[in-house]
Amino acid sequence: MTFYLARRLLFALFLVFAVSSSAMILARLAPGDYVTEALGPGARAEAVAEARARYGLDRPVLAQYADWLSHAIRFDFGRSMANDRPVGELIPERAANTALLAGAALLFATVVGLPLGVVSGSRPSGALSAAIRTFSVVFLSLPPLLTSLFLVFLAARTGWLPIGGMRSADAASGPALDLLRHLIVPAAALGLPLAAMFERLQSQALAETIGQPFVLATIARGVPRSRVIWRDALRAALRPVASVYGLVVGTLLSGSFAVEIMTSWPGLGRLMLDALVARDVYLVAGCAAAGSVFLAAGTLISDALLAAVDPRAIEA
Amino acid sequence: MISTRSEPATFNGLRKRDTSTELLGFLSGAKLVRINRATQELEPSLAESWARSPDGLTYTIKLRSGITFSDGHPFTADDVVFTFAALYDPKAGCELADAVRLDGKNLRVSAPDPLTVVVTFPVPFAPGVRILDNVPILPKHKLQAALQAGTFDSAWNLKTPVADIVGLGPFVPTEYVPGQRLIFSRNPRYFRKAPDGGPLPYLDRVTMEVVPDQDAQMLQLDAGQIDAVDSNMRPEDYAPLKRSADAGRVKLLDLGVSYDADSLWFNLKPGAYAHDSRAAWLQRDELRHAISLAVDRKAFADTVFLGAGAAAYGPETTANKRWFSADVPQTPYDPTRAKALLASIGLVDRDGDGTLDDPQHHPVRFTLLTQKGKTQLERGASVIREDLKRVGVVVDVVPLDFKSLVERFLSGANYDAIYFSVARTDTDPAINPDFWFSSGSAHFWNIGQKTPATPWEKEIDDLMSKQIASTDEARRKALFDEVLKVFAAHEPVVYFAAPRVFVATSSRVLNATPALLRPQLLWSADTLALAPKR
Repeated sequence: MTFYLARRLLFALFLVFAVSSSAMILARLAPGDYVTEALGPGARAEAVAEARARYGLDRPVLAQYADWLSHAIRFDFGRSMANDRPVGELIPERAANTALLAGAALLFATVVGLPLGVVSGSRPSGALSAAIRTFSVVFLSLPPLLTSLFLVFLAARTGWLPIGGMRSADAASGPALDLLRHLIVPAAALGLPLAAMFERLQSQALAETIGQPFVLATIARGVPRSRVIWRDALRAALRPVASVYGLVVGTLLSGSFAVEIMTSWPGLGRLMLDALVARDVYLVAGCAAAGSVFLAAGTLISDALLAAVDPRAIEA
Repeated sequence: MISTRSEPATFNGLRKRDTSTELLGFLSGAKLVRINRATQELEPSLAESWARSPDGLTYTIKLRSGITFSDGHPFTADDVVFTFAALYDPKAGCELADAVRLDGKNLRVSAPDPLTVVVTFPVPFAPGVRILDNVPILPKHKLQAALQAGTFDSAWNLKTPVADIVGLGPFVPTEYVPGQRLIFSRNPRYFRKAPDGGPLPYLDRVTMEVVPDQDAQMLQLDAGQIDAVDSNMRPEDYAPLKRSADAGRVKLLDLGVSYDADSLWFNLKPGAYAHDSRAAWLQRDELRHAISLAVDRKAFADTVFLGAGAAAYGPETTANKRWFSADVPQTPYDPTRAKALLASIGLVDRDGDGTLDDPQHHPVRFTLLTQKGKTQLERGASVIREDLKRVGVVVDVVPLDFKSLVERFLSGANYDAIYFSVARTDTDPAINPDFWFSSGSAHFWNIGQKTPATPWEKEIDDLMSKQIASTDEARRKALFDEVLKVFAAHEPVVYFAAPRVFVATSSRVLNATPALLRPQLLWSADTLALAPKR
């Protein structure tokens, strides 16, 4: 088990290195640079050249990359051109917000998706299962952007929830309740398609598991059907969901781009989008590194979970 | 509460030029002079008065006495000298510096006494101290150490505790929540007074809420969660906001036609089509005139700006009352004449397929680049494509992201034509000489010429040189009218229409004096007020 996890950890480190390096180089190679917009389209050529030299944008891409890499291995990720601040300062304050949102969305998706999957998988022909399947298909086909647009519109029209942001400037309720109220719309927007995916996976896996001899034998021995399903069959059917958990964390981050913009959530996705638009290369690389840390952590957790529910995974 | 689409980059108003940092400057900073955005007149601000030397190069500026920064430290001429020293210090990397240079040279600023500033211009410059409206004055006592230590570029970044930020503006920042909001409180030491002699600003607090999505901004405004939006309204925002205004939820103010019209230009750099068979006609005046004749501007304005636009015929729209010239001919919609003009340069339909062909039987076809994601530009490019198709010209529209687009026209390579909109920061043409001069960096169709490429560009250079140097306003107007006539005769840039500009606020906002130039509402934040909530 330890060797297995160490191997996965090494892969995770390689992932962080590869993703951040590619992001830095691609952002640098894309047409236009930070100075183009910062100084405006009518800036004098001399002023543009001075600014490019200042930010190191006049250097060859590989020289700039090598310089960045030599600092990055010492946890110095450079300085954001647009924010006048070290990247290492900017990332943590936003990554924490994204982690909170992603965690809430994952919790929501798990708490809603798995039980619904058990319900629809254990009674595939019922009206309730048909309704659950229909909702799942609808939410699976809706990208988080549209879901968040709909939820923001609903919040604006009803006034039940804040339209955006993470905390109110003048919260009438306590800070925890205020945060929870702000979390509902983005977490639901991000979590609903995931819940639908979990429901579908769990439902199919459970339907297959219920037909397995060990389940039929347990029921034949007189153990109540619901107990067999929720205790034995559920555990056996968890493998497909556990195996996608790691990928889901990565999806959460990319999905959070749109949701964070729509719901004004001050997270990493929004920071990265701003950095990409501004061609703030060091910040792009920093955000990509943070994103890949999320993905790597998710993959590790998923691998650990998979190993826990199915020891055969370690041997594979 | 106002919403912006991004948070300011820094508290240091000299370092960055993004719209949110500029807005922060209007809330917490002050300048020597202020352009009244509503009237376009220059007003005293920290400066009480100014006098120009006979040669027009030197301005002696008298400062108001008794002004203090928000921390109580007296404001003097030393702060002005310090601000300009920081602005032009190469190590400070101030992005604002280029906007306060003339002919690429710095202004010289000195302080003979604590209440007098002498500003010397490197070249004659008719708008004079109007250019100083760009520069927020910073406190020497707070930032001198950073400038001396060479750390001015990171001084007053958003990590700086807000208690350390002091200014001369109506508000002072009191809380910053990363990615979410900046809260400002009233500056009790603010120097401007209300007309009745009472203290300004009227508001006790301003919250700058970061809402990156413009649709979400509009929803929040409609729901009464914010009072104003610091984004230009898009044509598609008008209809829903009009319904909200009719229902009494928001106030919708029509400011009239914008100063900025959407424009199309071809790459006129000599040799740009050296190995291209289209070289014989792509840079001809007749092609641009034909395009101007072939586009129905009225229909263009209705389609592109969803009914809220007006036809434009030149770089100055009717909004710019001071510099618009009614004598400049207005190109009619005349596709027949357009075809005749194209025929005069050898572009006729030789094979009867409805598309014009050049004398070598190549179809008349060009690529039009525009900005991706800006709906009015994408719609406009489509209208141009359809109108030109009717006269037999094929246009391939290619939307590019902003930076790629700008990179293309700055490089002067790899493009045929561009359809774009450039927002101006002032109405006086002398403030934007780089557009007019052939050597200018904003002379988009052929940037940075060493010597004028054409006789008419030389003529414009000569006229603008006189226009910028003259101190006689009537002569300046006459000279600029001439510039516009020469420009219209060659149409290096073809203009089609300008949008009407609307500003929406919550129904509680009082004393608003919105203007066409940015920031449309908050340029006069000190006199804004709010009615109590019902």
